[in-house]
Amino acid sequence: MVNVMKGVLVECDPAMKQFLLHLDEKLALGRKFIIQDLDENHLFISTDIVEVLQARVDDLMDRISFPLHDKDA
Amino acid sequence: MADTKSGSGRHSAAGGSGNAVLSPLGQGPANLECKDFQEYLRTRQTPESLEKLYNYPPICLAVFRELPEIARQFIIRILFVDQPVPQAVVTSWGAQRCAKEQAEATSCLTALNVWRVTAIPGGLSAWELSPTFKKSVRQVLLGGGKPWPMTNTLDKDSKPRDIAFLDTYAMSRWRCVLHYMVGTGNRNGTDAEAISPDAVRILLHANLMKRDERDGITITRQGFQFLLLDTRAQVWHFMLQYLDTCEERGISLPECLSMLFQLSFSTLGRDYSSEGMNSQMLTFLQHLREFGLVFQRKRKEGRFYPTRLALNVTSKEAAATASVAMDEEATQDCGYIVVETNYRVYAYTDSPLQVAVLGLFTELLYRFPNLVVGVLTRDSVRQALRGGITAEQIVSYLEQYAHPNMRMVESAIHSKSCLPPTVVDQIKLWELERNRFTYTEGVLYNQFLSHTDFVTLRDYAQSIHMLVWQNERTRTMVVQKNGHDDVKRYWKKYSKSGV
Repeated sequence: MVNVMKGVLVECDPAMKQFLLHLDEKLALGRKFIIQDLDENHLFISTDIVEVLQARVDDLMDRISFPLHDKDA
Repeated sequence: MADTKSGSGRHSAAGGSGNAVLSPLGQGPANLECKDFQEYLRTRQTPESLEKLYNYPPICLAVFRELPEIARQFIIRILFVDQPVPQAVVTSWGAQRCAKEQAEATSCLTALNVWRVTAIPGGLSAWELSPTFKKSVRQVLLGGGKPWPMTNTLDKDSKPRDIAFLDTYAMSRWRCVLHYMVGTGNRNGTDAEAISPDAVRILLHANLMKRDERDGITITRQGFQFLLLDTRAQVWHFMLQYLDTCEERGISLPECLSMLFQLSFSTLGRDYSSEGMNSQMLTFLQHLREFGLVFQRKRKEGRFYPTRLALNVTSKEAAATASVAMDEEATQDCGYIVVETNYRVYAYTDSPLQVAVLGLFTELLYRFPNLVVGVLTRDSVRQALRGGITAEQIVSYLEQYAHPNMRMVESAIHSKSCLPPTVVDQIKLWELERNRFTYTEGVLYNQFLSHTDFVTLRDYAQSIHMLVWQNERTRTMVVQKNGHDDVKRYWKKYSKSGV
């Protein structure tokens, strides 16, 4: 019997995929969400976790982005 | 200097890693579609309604003018031939090297229902012009038929309006609509005029604005994009949306379209008669008056002036001239924006609308009577990207309105853009940040018992264009969510036949 699972296919670059694997392993979003690791650029993940994941990735981007313009300058 | 370089370097490095912000699973509204007249007719009209439209000579003239040149040639040649012309004859009119253009012209005429295939004695296929279209085009080329109502004779106007007045009036009326969209209408005293519920309804219908529980009516992503269009494209798009709502307000679409094109073919600065119009057309005229396409001193005067906004409303050739003439910065060669390599933007303008548009993607810092200073930041640009504006649009907007001094620099460094390359690249990097992830809602299939099973189902999913990922070695594949039912049905059928 064929196994069938619903979810979301995520396509990204290898570096960001490692970030997702890290979040999954550390239970950073409260639980494991990766259904299957497909290849270097693709993951299959739970549907309900996508928005939380978005917020987490946004946080990461904000933390590593350097504010170019300082208003007080 | 060193600090600036260092900061830029770090920021570029940071820009290299991004994330997607747009709701990944939502079926968001499509981007703003700027249809030209042909696309409008092709996608929104059925052959029956096209036939009705072709009863109006002004519409046929507009259709004719918008056709590809080869298509116009075909029509002219067979317009006065009263029997169908064999397809082979029409094909022989063009050189073989123009076969592609000829095929495009042919499919265009067929799609617009201008001509159709018919059989002539002997079994040959032939082209036949739509009788309605043929009759109307003959009328516009040769004269005859019913005179256009607005060309009725008029007394000389005791207070004639010149072109400068009409231009000022047109932009003032049109700017009220744009101000309403960016929300500056209420705050700016000089342009405090509100727009009518009718205009608001069109903006909502066109999805340029939407009702929001908290903010009332707010601009949408398509509305953002609408504001970045040139004026002529804005007016055309707006009128298409208006025509969409024609029938529900009890106005005849063919008559509106016919009237719109009569205005399009009129002469700027000349007055026309509204005496012969029925009540529907008079209502339409009032709406056009509000949008700035016609000027009328009093409703009952029986006379009106088309403005530049109405002229050549579908014509692409007139776009450049019209834009230049209508832009209030014409005396400044249309350029008022300076962009520096430190991402600062200086706009030498006193137009609240231009400032508001700039505010869509820059963080405004200082405001002076004729100068506004802003800065392109990651946050401000991303906010615009989130609203549906693209990096390409932002860059082309800044280029379009670049100050003449910016263009001097261009010739010196032989850059293809007059903007600082660092700024252009960074805006595009900020866009790439958001496209780091692509989400596709789908269904994962794995653990197939045999390779044959996998290949069969995969090939089926591929044939219905629902396969988004597959790996033959691990017998795993992902199908789009909306394709799952079809694939499941196929699998059941396949399983039964297999057993």
